[in-house]
Amino acid sequence: MIPEPVMTYLNEAARQARAKIPEPDSSLFLCGILDSFTLVDFITLIETVCGIRVNDRDLRPENFDTLSKIDSFITKAKQQ
Amino acid sequence: MSAYITASGAALPRRCVSNQQLAYQLGVTPEWIESNSGIKERRWVDPDQSASDLAASAVSQTIAHSNLRPEQVDYLIGSTISPDYQVPGIAPLVQSKAPGLRDVPAVDLRVGCTAILYSLQIASALISAGTAQSVVCFGAEAQSKALVLDRDNAEISMLFGDGAGALMMTAQPAPARTSGRPNIRIDDVMIRTDGNFATDLCVRAPGTANGPRWMDRGQFESGLFQPSMNGKSVILHAVRKLAMSAQEVTDRNSVRMDQIGLVIPHQANGVLLNLLAKRLEIPAERIVMNLDRYGNTSSASAFIALWQAAIDGRFEPGMRILIMAFGAGFSWGAALGTVVA
Repeated sequence: MIPEPVMTYLNEAARQARAKIPEPDSSLFLCGILDSFTLVDFITLIETVCGIRVNDRDLRPENFDTLSKIDSFITKAKQQ
Repeated sequence: MSAYITASGAALPRRCVSNQQLAYQLGVTPEWIESNSGIKERRWVDPDQSASDLAASAVSQTIAHSNLRPEQVDYLIGSTISPDYQVPGIAPLVQSKAPGLRDVPAVDLRVGCTAILYSLQIASALISAGTAQSVVCFGAEAQSKALVLDRDNAEISMLFGDGAGALMMTAQPAPARTSGRPNIRIDDVMIRTDGNFATDLCVRAPGTANGPRWMDRGQFESGLFQPSMNGKSVILHAVRKLAMSAQEVTDRNSVRMDQIGLVIPHQANGVLLNLLAKRLEIPAERIVMNLDRYGNTSSASAFIALWQAAIDGRFEPGMRILIMAFGAGFSWGAALGTVVA
C-alpha cells in the first residue's frame, strides 16, 4: 500500500496538473501528474517517508511510472 | 605540486537562434522551451564552421589572456562530441589552427559534458608529474549540425548550442589576476562513472555495436547518428549525483557548502540547476548560469561558464569554487578550487 504522504503528494500534483489520479496501471507521466523534474523530489519523498534508499540500479523512471509499480517498489524495498 | 587555472577564453558563433525561431520547427511554443529548459536563445555555427574553428579561437584567446606565449604551451587536451572528423581527433586540428603552438602532445577526451573535470584531473596530474608546466584544455561543440528539428526531437533539439571554451593550467599562479585570468588553485577533483546507463544519453552511429558495418544506409535512415536521450533518467540521476558529488568533495576537504563562494556547473538545463541549488541550499546568485543565452554546449559548457565568471569579475581572492558536471556515461563529479590573489 502506498503511504499516505506519498498519495497526498500525488493528489496535490494531480490538482495542479488539473488531472485525476489514474487507474493503478496507467502512467502518471502521461497524465501529467509526474514529469522529469517533479520525479526527483517525488523519489526523495518516498525515501524519506518509507525509510528506504533507492539505489542507482533501481533509479529508473519506469519503476515509478504507475501506482502499481510504486506500490510494488516500496513493498520490495522495505523487505530488503 | 599544485596546479592552477591561470587563464580562460571562449568563442561563440555569431548566429543567434531564439526560441521564437526554433519553436515552429520543433512543433512547440517558445514558452514551452523556456519553461522546460531555462533557455531563451543559443548560438549555432554557420555551415562552413567546425568545432575546431571555435576551439582554436578559444585556445588562442586563453593564451593571450595568460602570461605565456603560445610556444610555451606544453600540452593540449581537447574534448568534443561533435568532432570535425572521426579520426583524427579535434586536438591535433586545434594544434595546427591556433597560431604559434609547438608540436606538443594533443589528445582528445570523448567524455561529453564532464570534459572540464577530466581535463582538470589529467592536467593537474601532468603538472604534478613534471611532464608539463603548462597545459591548455578546451571543450568545443558544433552539435547543431546533428540536431533534427521536428516534434519528435523537440526535447533534445531545444537544448543544444554551439561554442568553445578553454583554460590554461600551470604549475604556478599567474603574477596578477585580471579579466580572463581566474587564478584558481585546484584542490581536489572527484569523478565517478556508471556505464549501466550508457544508452540513456547516446549517439550510436557511427559505431561497431550497430551490426556488421560501422555506418550504413539503414543506420542512417533510422537516425542512429542523432543524439538520443532518456530525459527523465538523465535529470533524475544528474540532480542526485551532482548533489552527492558536491557533498563528497567538500566533506573530504573539510569545507562546508556555505563556504562555497561560486558554483560553476555544466549548463545542462536551467530547471535542473535550480533543483540542484535547492537541494544543496546554495543561493541562485552563487551559481554561474549563462544557458539562457548559450544553451547547453556539452563539452564546452563549463569552460564557457568559467570564462563568463572570469570576465564578469566574479572571482575574489580566497573564494572557494565548486565546478560540477554530469553527462554521458553516465559520468559525473565535482572539483574544488580556491581563488588565489
